Amino acid sequence: MPSVSSGSKYDVIVIGGGHNGLTNAAYLAKAGKKVLVLERRHILGGAACTEEVFPGFKFSVCSYVVSLLRPEIIRDLDLPRHGLEILPLDGTFTPMPNGDHLWRVNDHGKTHREIARHSRVDAEAYDEFGKAMQAMCRFVKPILSMIPPDPATLNPKELMKLLFIGKRFQGMSSEDKYNQVQLMTMSAIDFLDQWFETDVLKATMSASGIIGTFLGVRSPGTAYVLLHHYMGEIDGAFRAWGFARGGTGAISNAIADAAREAGVEIRTEAPIAQIMVKNGKAIGVALTNGDEIYADVVSSSVDPRLTFNKMIEPGHLPDEFMEGVNRYKFRGSSGKVNMALDGLPNFKCMPGVGAHLRGAMSISPSVEYMEKAYDEAKYGHWSSHPYIDMVIPTLTDTSLAPPGKHILSCFVQYAPYKLAPGLDWDTEKEKFGDNVVNTIAEYAPNIKDIILHRQVVTPLDLERTWGLTEGNIFQGELSLEQLFFLRPVAGWAQFRSPIKNLYMCGSATHPGGGIMGAPGRLAALEILKDGGA
Amino acid sequence: MAETRDVIIVGGGHNGLVAAFYLAKAGFKPLVLERRAQVGGAAITEEFHLGFRCSTLAHNAGPLRADIVRDMQLERHGLKLTTPDVNTVSLSPDGRALILYSDAKKAAAEIAQWSQKDASSYADFGLALGKIGKVIGEALLLTPPNIDSPNSGDLWGMLKTGRSIRNLGKKDLYRVLRWGPMAVADLVAEFFDTEPLRATLAARGIFGTFLGPWSAGSSLVLMLRAAADPTPAGSIQFPVGGIGAITIAMAAAAKQAGAEVRTGADIAEIRVKDGVATGVVLASGEEISARAVVSNADPKRTLMRLVDPSHLTPDFVQKIKNYRSMGTVAKINLALSALPDFTALKNKGTGDLLKGRIQISPEIDYLERAFDESKYGNFSRNPYIEIAIPSLSDPSLAPAGQHVMSIYMQYAPYKLKGSDWETQRTALGETVVKTISQYAPNLPQTILRHQIITPKDLEETYGLTGGHIFHGELALDQFFTMRPLLDWARYNTPIERLYLCGSGTHPGTGLTGGSGANAAREIAKALKK
Repeated sequence: MPSVSSGSKYDVIVIGGGHNGLTNAAYLAKAGKKVLVLERRHILGGAACTEEVFPGFKFSVCSYVVSLLRPEIIRDLDLPRHGLEILPLDGTFTPMPNGDHLWRVNDHGKTHREIARHSRVDAEAYDEFGKAMQAMCRFVKPILSMIPPDPATLNPKELMKLLFIGKRFQGMSSEDKYNQVQLMTMSAIDFLDQWFETDVLKATMSASGIIGTFLGVRSPGTAYVLLHHYMGEIDGAFRAWGFARGGTGAISNAIADAAREAGVEIRTEAPIAQIMVKNGKAIGVALTNGDEIYADVVSSSVDPRLTFNKMIEPGHLPDEFMEGVNRYKFRGSSGKVNMALDGLPNFKCMPGVGAHLRGAMSISPSVEYMEKAYDEAKYGHWSSHPYIDMVIPTLTDTSLAPPGKHILSCFVQYAPYKLAPGLDWDTEKEKFGDNVVNTIAEYAPNIKDIILHRQVVTPLDLERTWGLTEGNIFQGELSLEQLFFLRPVAGWAQFRSPIKNLYMCGSATHPGGGIMGAPGRLAALEILKDGGA
Repeated sequence: MAETRDVIIVGGGHNGLVAAFYLAKAGFKPLVLERRAQVGGAAITEEFHLGFRCSTLAHNAGPLRADIVRDMQLERHGLKLTTPDVNTVSLSPDGRALILYSDAKKAAAEIAQWSQKDASSYADFGLALGKIGKVIGEALLLTPPNIDSPNSGDLWGMLKTGRSIRNLGKKDLYRVLRWGPMAVADLVAEFFDTEPLRATLAARGIFGTFLGPWSAGSSLVLMLRAAADPTPAGSIQFPVGGIGAITIAMAAAAKQAGAEVRTGADIAEIRVKDGVATGVVLASGEEISARAVVSNADPKRTLMRLVDPSHLTPDFVQKIKNYRSMGTVAKINLALSALPDFTALKNKGTGDLLKGRIQISPEIDYLERAFDESKYGNFSRNPYIEIAIPSLSDPSLAPAGQHVMSIYMQYAPYKLKGSDWETQRTALGETVVKTISQYAPNLPQTILRHQIITPKDLEETYGLTGGHIFHGELALDQFFTMRPLLDWARYNTPIERLYLCGSGTHPGTGLTGGSGANAAREIAKALKK
């Protein structure tokens, strides 16, 4: 058993080997730090992982598509050289109960004609909408790469940051300002209502406003999340939404590879029992097996609940900070159903195998459907008619399943972590899975005949297996009061914590969740700035 | 005939009268034109059954801005307000009632019977609202700054508010930032454990809006209202003579200051020539020209109906169209032969407890479910209800021993799915009476007369577009520099010499007079240039 030695073994210990933890480690190591990453599970990636759940079938068990990964990270870490390859995911296909459909693709002309089939006005508005969203993205993007300012200080540097945002806002045209303000405050549907009249178009577009949140398409604040969707679509380095070849885990593996090359040591199956704190400073971690490892800095990529409530002995943190941590909202609202298929689903409204199966397939037939799905969740029930976002990655990447077989990955919302009294996820789990299959079968009846295996991932599973508190895929709700300088705790949005040398670098910090990598990178820059490591 | 007036004010609601007063004080000769036979707009008292007078729409004098009451000397003009000891009685289906006294200490003692912790939180909550409300209150006095090129006055105002915000201290500053976009259900849960208390206070964040307690941004509504009035559930005050006594006093004050008030003057059109407002045309055909026109009507009515939209750019018209003003409130007034017996208050000496606000908002989920129905175009079958029995404080409103009951019912969406309000009118009244009867079983036997005011009536009779009692939704995107629209929040419009002074401008909200007073200040400045 090592005792406190004079010199620490590592400069930085990173808790958690998810994509943010690995990104954090890679940046620190590239700056010359000696870094150790500790991952509880046997594989890396956190929620960005690929697992062979059934022999021959490799699932992107949790996160399944990518678009937001910051281009500077791809560049800085040279990820393509480390095996990252993004395959395009073209279009969104929305089947409708009346036998019609809406199919939007990257091809501008095709999409225009398709929307015009539903409404000519909307087809025109769709182009305008795209342009407006791009203008908004130009405003928001620099904020994603920014350390959030602290509005409660008089430090001129912090005020400069606020001024910078203010100036950018001023620099926008009157029209863009109007849109920006609306986008930050309105509900996805109120916002889309101003542009479009076709119900199914609004419904399917609004879906990107609610993914991973405990909000409905009519809840104020959801319009902002729509924007994230567009940010992916205009990124220069990679186009649109895509799959990583080899599944989402391949992204984590590429980052891990880059980190190792920079000298990072990575240990899996190394669950942490405690962050050791001495005289108000983090000095290392104790593993559940009793090992103690010392470092100058501890950087935690797990969420604040785990970091501050579970891994730190009570008494080290000020009450006011802990109030903030305890108030931080998780409220997981989604689940996954992954299926191994013997064939391909055959949609009633567009029979046969076609390009529509290669993109996203969205069960979001009407605004009312979406909102009703939310209503059930508010009172603690999973949606009897859920929003489902499906992809068949094997049509693009054949390495994921045996020849002729396929994978269907279904993101399902709403699945509230906290169920109504008398219900629990262990008993609801398979019923929830059955309901997803039944829902899909309404549009593609053959689905039931081609399922070889099925894996249901409930919010409780996300918590138990992946360490996502309350099953929130973004490590905490992306609601306005938990964004930017309020994420995760007001006054503590700059990746630091009240304990010296303890940092946060996960999705619970600015700019939040999704496979973006930005929190990991920004936290690394702050750690280096402090020079404590 | 070709007489040219100084300033015409379209509509004699409380904001129009307040604007008229301040404009007269500033040396103008405003002419207020009111369509109906009496001034007051939504703040009126009417006899709806022989011998029974009721505050037809608004029933709580709520937070009139103190400086306005002072400047207009409303008390000298006959306004007499009474404040009941009991602020709110909130009824629960289990037969209990949560009683919130106006006096903070008494309130805490009563809450302690439900939860000791909540009793002390109640004081904290009031303090926090007071502190934050004070700062927001300062912003409410401001004309929203011009975002593109703030002038020195704007900067000074912002600086002052900025300074007060900083003086809040870190904790409360973060509270303002965090609370603004939050759901009010989350906000009250940060303070309280007792469900009826949570719901009763949360109701203030949804009143009059198309939001449920779980809707993000409902905390902002609560904070806005707290800015005018930091009492947690909102203070309650009844003018003697009903709410109309306020606007009658305001009209008297305005007249004394030099304004002229004409009723029965229905305006058909605001005349615009070469982009400049030149006067109005009455429905009778009479034309009155004026140097400036100030509209107390809501933004949509003003800019899409009274003004020919062809004078506006299509882009502006589109934005005004998108200004959200779908009402959610209906009003039911009852003439009662006797005071109904509320089961929960049986052993508590009924009379005095009923003098304040009586509320049906037993739990957050109850309110949210009531909201759910309205999202799909149905009125709530188990509605959120706020009742006042003003005849308890002012017996002159009803014959001796008899009473008037004034009821706000929410949610009653303006647009019904597959039906219309004429068809649903009776069902709405029945639902409300049935709901209250669960708590006061003998209510139906005491009813002499119903007056049912649907959102459609609010639009047609009282001129509130979409039946929205606040002249447009109170939401983050329609607030401060965005009320009614970004770039047009300074009481002016794209039409020169046409101004807005109603609740559809900053600060909006209920019966405060803030919009009228702020507007008058800006208009006087503009016209003196």
